[in-house]
Amino acid sequence: MTMDERTEKDILQEIAGQEYEHGFVTDVEQEFIPKGLNEDIIRLISSKKQEPEWLLEFRLDAFRRWQKMKMPAWAHLDIPEIDFQDIIYYAAPKKDSDRPKEIDPELEKTFDKLGIPLNERAALAGVAVDAVFDSVSVTTTFRKALADKGIIFCSFSEAVREHPDLVRKYLASVVPVGDNFYAALNSAVFSDGSFCYIPKGVRCPMELSSYFRINAKGTGQFERTLIVADEGSYVSYMEGCTAPMRDENQLHAAVVEIVVEKDAEVKYSTVQNWYPGDAQGRGGIFNFVTKRGICKGSGSHLSWTQVETGSAITWKYPSTILKGDNSSSEFYSVAVTNNFQQADTGTKMIHVGKNTRSRIISKGISAGHSQNSYRGLVKMLPGADNARNYSQCDSLLIGDRCGAHTFPNIENANRTAVVEHEATTSKISEDQLFYCNQRGIGPEEAVGLIVNGYAREVLSKLPMEFAVEAQKLLQVSLEGSVG
Amino acid sequence: MEGKRTITLAPGESLQRVFMLRDPAENTLPFSRLVLGADSNADITVVVMPGVSCDVSLTVDIDGQNAGCTVQGVYICPGSENVRIAVDMNHNVPRCTSRQLFKGLAGGASRVDFYGKIIVAQDAQKTEAYQENHNLLLSDDAKVNTRPQLEIYADDVKCSHGATIGRLNEEEQFYMRSRGISLQDARVLQMISFVSPVFRHIPESAVKGEIVEEVERAIRNNF
Repeated sequence: MTMDERTEKDILQEIAGQEYEHGFVTDVEQEFIPKGLNEDIIRLISSKKQEPEWLLEFRLDAFRRWQKMKMPAWAHLDIPEIDFQDIIYYAAPKKDSDRPKEIDPELEKTFDKLGIPLNERAALAGVAVDAVFDSVSVTTTFRKALADKGIIFCSFSEAVREHPDLVRKYLASVVPVGDNFYAALNSAVFSDGSFCYIPKGVRCPMELSSYFRINAKGTGQFERTLIVADEGSYVSYMEGCTAPMRDENQLHAAVVEIVVEKDAEVKYSTVQNWYPGDAQGRGGIFNFVTKRGICKGSGSHLSWTQVETGSAITWKYPSTILKGDNSSSEFYSVAVTNNFQQADTGTKMIHVGKNTRSRIISKGISAGHSQNSYRGLVKMLPGADNARNYSQCDSLLIGDRCGAHTFPNIENANRTAVVEHEATTSKISEDQLFYCNQRGIGPEEAVGLIVNGYAREVLSKLPMEFAVEAQKLLQVSLEGSVG
Repeated sequence: MEGKRTITLAPGESLQRVFMLRDPAENTLPFSRLVLGADSNADITVVVMPGVSCDVSLTVDIDGQNAGCTVQGVYICPGSENVRIAVDMNHNVPRCTSRQLFKGLAGGASRVDFYGKIIVAQDAQKTEAYQENHNLLLSDDAKVNTRPQLEIYADDVKCSHGATIGRLNEEEQFYMRSRGISLQDARVLQMISFVSPVFRHIPESAVKGEIVEEVERAIRNNF
């Protein structure tokens, strides 16, 4: 045992200097608007994006509501005071006047470095990407190929210009403007994100994906994404994100809305790898997002898969409203926290329709001095005849200074509905470690192996392109936590 | 908290009590806090009988090592009862064990709220803490909310909670009916067997026999 401890300590020291892989800063000329938040700033953002009057009104209405709201304090998080007047709400790389149509090579290089080639020839076959850099979308690949099928996949700003009717019809239809503090803030100042519309009966031939990159200092990113899957359609959508390493905290407050019509299916996957702060807890992204989908039509299906390894603080509850009869939804989550990270994440399943089904699998892993909470709501409304939910939330603790918490909320008002929830908390057993060590697998590698096995049920739900990255990420996030 | 009592168990002491809430006026426990010293053992059972709306809240502080605590309960709500149960189980020191099991029937227009939190303090290693809350929802107007919570700050622990809100199994009913048991009797048998694990823990005695009989009678007469 003593020998084991020594090797573990060595490994720990070796990796203590481990750096966040995507922590670099891209040196491009950027355009900023002044710091602060008021109606003039909102008008400025809206005019920069050449928005129609109705959208400006939408933003102002949201801002006025937000001013009356308070930051939510119910989460198991210790959030330092955020000065909302000390944030730059819009930052965009300057367009080269000589080549207004082309992507700045510097930006192309950045995304290349992040593993997201923007050149269609070099891109991973079968994945279309919308790349967002600070407040603007840089480019969206494979748009033509998708348009042939009638699929609209573009940046949110473009959608406002080119498909105003669709945007107007669905915007804020799932997450109302005044839904919560951060959703209201986002509705007031949102910059860019992706819009995607899959027409009736179309099976999207490739994975759609958005990649969000924060680059500029002192800014916040306010992504807005809207996905609409019309009757009988199918789409798999992936989202990734990274940010540079800085001592300051940067705010990312996103709103994602998903509408799933009759018999349609949406698979939404996230690998969240925002800068988590350093080993002393300095810096990192505050990731406060509202993601919600509605299974509007009968037989519709929405599945959420998330791998959360980044961010200093995460406040995120992807939710589904199961309105259509026979609709179903799933939530698969792996949340890893290390050092001084804090995560309060989970899901809400609101069963409205008959025979609706939902399944929640959440795996929390906490290490270092981190706090990791699962928070969830399963609600069976009186009309949810024969509805069914199963939830399993497991927590794994690595080290004796971290915390793992489970806060489910279960409400049932229908006698034919059945809800089950179970949660366990444990550490990696010494038997498992011993078994590995005995077979020549070192402690660090053994922990990686065991954690990957523990998270397998969730990782296996990720699209192939993501699964490999996610597995690597798990290992990196936990490095240095054994001992 | 005024007038609420704290019961403190000295090291090595043990306490075993069953509280029957039969009278609508008797809507809570005679104490709200339980403090356990080292090697002490507490075993508390609460039975909420039909017609009783109650607010049972209990905080257990396990302050001495090797202490054990069992808190369990049954609630039978066929009418318009409003039953609230809140248990805070605080594991403040290492090597203690707690078990909680609450099972209940919600019929009529009753409303059940269960809240149970287990907190394992930092360094309270080798803790074992388990909690279960299972409910049967028996009518269209009844409503059950349950909030089991775990807050764990130590790693060498075994903690779990489970919560369900469900209905009577129709296959079991069919099995019994095909053997000549009426639907009504079958349902009653199902409900009795559903709550019975709560009593399994109480040592055999005349008192236990009376309690079980009283609960069975209440189920038979009210559902």
